[in-house]
Amino acid sequence: MTTLVRPATDERVVPPARARKVPAPLRKKRRRHRLFVAALMAPWAIGFSVFFLYPLAATLWFSFTRYNLLEQPVFIGLRNYRYFFTQDPYSLQAVRNTLWLTIFVVPARIIFALLIAQLVIQIKRGGNVLRTVFYLPALAPPVAATLAFTYLFNPATGPVNQLLGKVGIGWQPLWFSDPALAKPTLLILSVWGLGDVMVILLATLLQVPNEQYEAAHLDGANAWQRFRYVTLPNIWPVLLFAAVTGVIAMLQFFTQAAVASAVAGGTAPVGGGLGERLGYPDNAMLTFPIWMYVKGFANFQLGYACAMAVMLFVVSMAFTVVLLRRSRVFLYGAEEA
Amino acid sequence: MTSAKIYRLALGLGAVSLLAAACTATDKKSQEPVASPTASASGQVSFWHFFTGREAEAIDGVVKDFEASHPGITVKVSKGQDDEKMRQAISAGKGPDVGLSYSTDIVGNFCTSGAWRDLGPYIKRDNVDMNQLVPVVRSYTEYKGTRCSMPVLADTYGLYYNKKLLADAGYTEPPKTLSQLAEMAKKLTTHKTNGDINVIGFMPFLDYYENSPAHWAPHWAATWFDQAGKSAVASDPAWSAMLTWQKQLIDYYGSDKLTKFSAGKGDEFSAANDFERGKVAMMLDGEWRIAFINADKPNLDYGTAPFPAADDKQNLYGGGYVTGNIIGISRGSDNPEAAWELIKYLTTDTGAIVKLANGIKNVPTTHAALTSPDLQVDDKFKTFLDIFANPNSATSPSTANGAEYQNLFGTWIVKWQTGRATDLQAGLESVAKQIDDSLALGTGS
Amino acid sequence: MTVHDLTIRRPVSRVRAGRRRKTLTFIAEHSVAIALALVFLAPFAFIVLTSVMTNDQALTPDLWPRTWRLDNYVKVFQDAPMFRYLANSLMYSVLATGFMLLSSIPAAYALARLRWRGRDLAFLGVLVMMMLPPQVTVVPLYVLWARWNLTGTLWPLILPNLFGDAFSIFLIRQFLLTIPEEYADAARADGCSELRVMWKIILPLAKPGIAAAALFMFFLTWNDYFGPLLYTSENADNWTLALGLATFRDLHRVQWNLTMAATLIVMLPVIILFFFAQKAFVQGVTLTGVKG
Repeated sequence: MTTLVRPATDERVVPPARARKVPAPLRKKRRRHRLFVAALMAPWAIGFSVFFLYPLAATLWFSFTRYNLLEQPVFIGLRNYRYFFTQDPYSLQAVRNTLWLTIFVVPARIIFALLIAQLVIQIKRGGNVLRTVFYLPALAPPVAATLAFTYLFNPATGPVNQLLGKVGIGWQPLWFSDPALAKPTLLILSVWGLGDVMVILLATLLQVPNEQYEAAHLDGANAWQRFRYVTLPNIWPVLLFAAVTGVIAMLQFFTQAAVASAVAGGTAPVGGGLGERLGYPDNAMLTFPIWMYVKGFANFQLGYACAMAVMLFVVSMAFTVVLLRRSRVFLYGAEEA
Repeated sequence: MTSAKIYRLALGLGAVSLLAAACTATDKKSQEPVASPTASASGQVSFWHFFTGREAEAIDGVVKDFEASHPGITVKVSKGQDDEKMRQAISAGKGPDVGLSYSTDIVGNFCTSGAWRDLGPYIKRDNVDMNQLVPVVRSYTEYKGTRCSMPVLADTYGLYYNKKLLADAGYTEPPKTLSQLAEMAKKLTTHKTNGDINVIGFMPFLDYYENSPAHWAPHWAATWFDQAGKSAVASDPAWSAMLTWQKQLIDYYGSDKLTKFSAGKGDEFSAANDFERGKVAMMLDGEWRIAFINADKPNLDYGTAPFPAADDKQNLYGGGYVTGNIIGISRGSDNPEAAWELIKYLTTDTGAIVKLANGIKNVPTTHAALTSPDLQVDDKFKTFLDIFANPNSATSPSTANGAEYQNLFGTWIVKWQTGRATDLQAGLESVAKQIDDSLALGTGS
Repeated sequence: MTVHDLTIRRPVSRVRAGRRRKTLTFIAEHSVAIALALVFLAPFAFIVLTSVMTNDQALTPDLWPRTWRLDNYVKVFQDAPMFRYLANSLMYSVLATGFMLLSSIPAAYALARLRWRGRDLAFLGVLVMMMLPPQVTVVPLYVLWARWNLTGTLWPLILPNLFGDAFSIFLIRQFLLTIPEEYADAARADGCSELRVMWKIILPLAKPGIAAAALFMFFLTWNDYFGPLLYTSENADNWTLALGLATFRDLHRVQWNLTMAATLIVMLPVIILFFFAQKAFVQGVTLTGVKG
């Protein structure tokens, strides 16, 4: 089990629990302590029940019903699940889209972030400026960034294709309007915003003790070996954390795909709502959460949307468990390890 | 257990039981007894519609007339509200008193679920003569015997053609058959130096502006559902005829070029509309386009005509797709009486209908309004009135699932027109199955 | 305290073999860095340039504005109720952040610095809550808020923060773990009650972490699209900037130049806030990924 190597001068360890004897006079103090804890935790406890446990249970219940919010829910057993796996023309496409994004975007962001972080470290002067430059796109609100990218990558009028034409490259891709290129364009958008991962990796890389690098160099290790045997073990917990949180973020990926679909697809048919445009082009950008939203809040098949929610929950929890098991030290601190 | 845990458990249980109580169905009774005829309607009425911009102003004008003639009732208007938003609001109990929808798609759903109130009792009580409405609009505002909506102006679709572009290519008449349309489209198209389409004769993509299977259906006499209520997209040969005709034109242009052209299209309801800009020579559009052109590009030299019909079904020529805006009272409305007064005014008052029709150039739905001398009719608008009256004109059926059957078809068509689906019959059969399955899930049959 | 010190330190002992390789590496690294930086900044540049063009030019290959239409920014405010969206966004973000602090700081404190049975279980609950995609619970929550008659407003998004926000609790807890116990011990030895220890001693030391959590919450709510889409779609009076911006292009007569101007307007507050609170911000981001 790898742990984050801490420089020797840091003392972050919370001292081990002091054994408390319980003579009678101190029992009152103990009770006060418990009341204190209860008071501190009460708001969260209520929130946990009302906004987490209850909706989770309710989602499970609704997933076995047909419910359109206008009439009472009607129990239909596993029908929603059956429809999802056998009859819904878009469900598997939605799963594939989300899977694609998870498999490609998460590693892309992490790898590029790592490379850029390394680069920033190498640059002596202006390192801080560089860090800011690379972080800035991550600050842009997702809607704004997506809107900007839809304009930039507009196949007919956008600057990117104009530049490609001017430079003489004959290839004029349709970007968001091409079903084969829509997701890769989303990937470009996500990689542009890798600043948040980069900053974490940057801080972590800086904490790798120089002595280890020196020792490796003295042993005759080249750059790749230094990376593999010194850097990687040290930053591994952070990489894992970034990977798992990245996966969970991709599982709920909604905003960018929805905005790109709606904007690149053009104005809705008159009076039509958002649901009619999502997925453009040809359902290439129909992610799982988007399809859930369309089914639940555009088509008002809320029971079905809940069935999808249950599936999303199961997959997310699987990844959460992975993270929790591998990161015990990371999360709980050394005294618990 | 520690008291901390006890507290947390107690809180949790308390919260859950509170919610359980909250969740027991409050079965809101949607229909209170209809008030007696002598009760006078007053108060505030919220009115949602989907129009924006100039058309919203036209509605505002008519609403003001209503307020003037009905002192005591004030109307709070919200524009730009589409069907999704209305439905969401009604479901949450916050629907508007009066809602206006852009099409008949939701009639099936709103009437069966009670989202819109049953207007039957009101019509009976006030002795509203339903015969003053044209038959086709009567049929698409009710569903399986329940009338939960009234028609507010109708829309018909026809062919708009740019006279100058046609003349430049040597044409003086618009096409009447589909093969004429295809032929003229090819001749009217010009390209840029890099091969991209500059001006297109006719854009064959079925998700471009008002092109859609529903709007094209009447020109091939294609039917959506058979007698048994099952989807007919695979069994009715008209659909494959339609898609085959379309594919030939698409192959001529190249679907990639068409996609690029479509990606650069201007906003449909602005002065950047491709037809108004002269980027499209012939286009299917609704009668409201006349008002838009008058406002945006009054110097455009264009004409209107019925959309061409299939070569082997020329008897269909002169008809077209008909739909309309519909209006109803939300389930949770606090002021149904005043809401009903507004609806009566907008749907049966000849003066109001004519004023609105003149303002947004939609087709009036009552005999009286259609024949009113105040109705502004020029030869362009007359085309659409004739289409409206033509016996071959058709509307799309209403289902309990709304327009989902159209969406399912439309999604597969995108694959077809970009060449990703090549087996037409197999594709149509898969769509028919999807439509049937989706209806089954939505209605529990 | 390395967590709080983020000036870039150069790794000291990179042995360089030969001046020539050193110069080549230097040039290579700097060229790549500059090229990458330009690529990352390019979209911003295009946004700015497009926002001051005329709409006709926005649709042409010309990339440099022929005329500088700074009045586009004025037009944006005229065409859409940007001030209202701005007010709504501010209300949402400020209230949500404030409520979050009220409820999450105590919980984070109890989880980090007090010992009690069930603590680890509670923390597990926080983690699970944090990892859960919001879409999983959205339907019943929507039904709930509809029953409480609060749909169409931003309250369904603001009020739950009164009952703790899992991510913020996690963040603040991680930070609180880094404060040495000696401070608290000294205070307890002096006779302070636990409440005083928390309020007077520990929390003031936790200001950077709390500031980071607050900033995070602010940005999260400022950028939130799905939440306002779900709860306020039907009531344009309550739209936030994110929702208003997304539908900007739906308004009749919308043009790309104005859209880009609006985009910039929405981006600016965040970027400005970032520059002022850089240290706290980057610190907070680091806290999520780095312990110690």
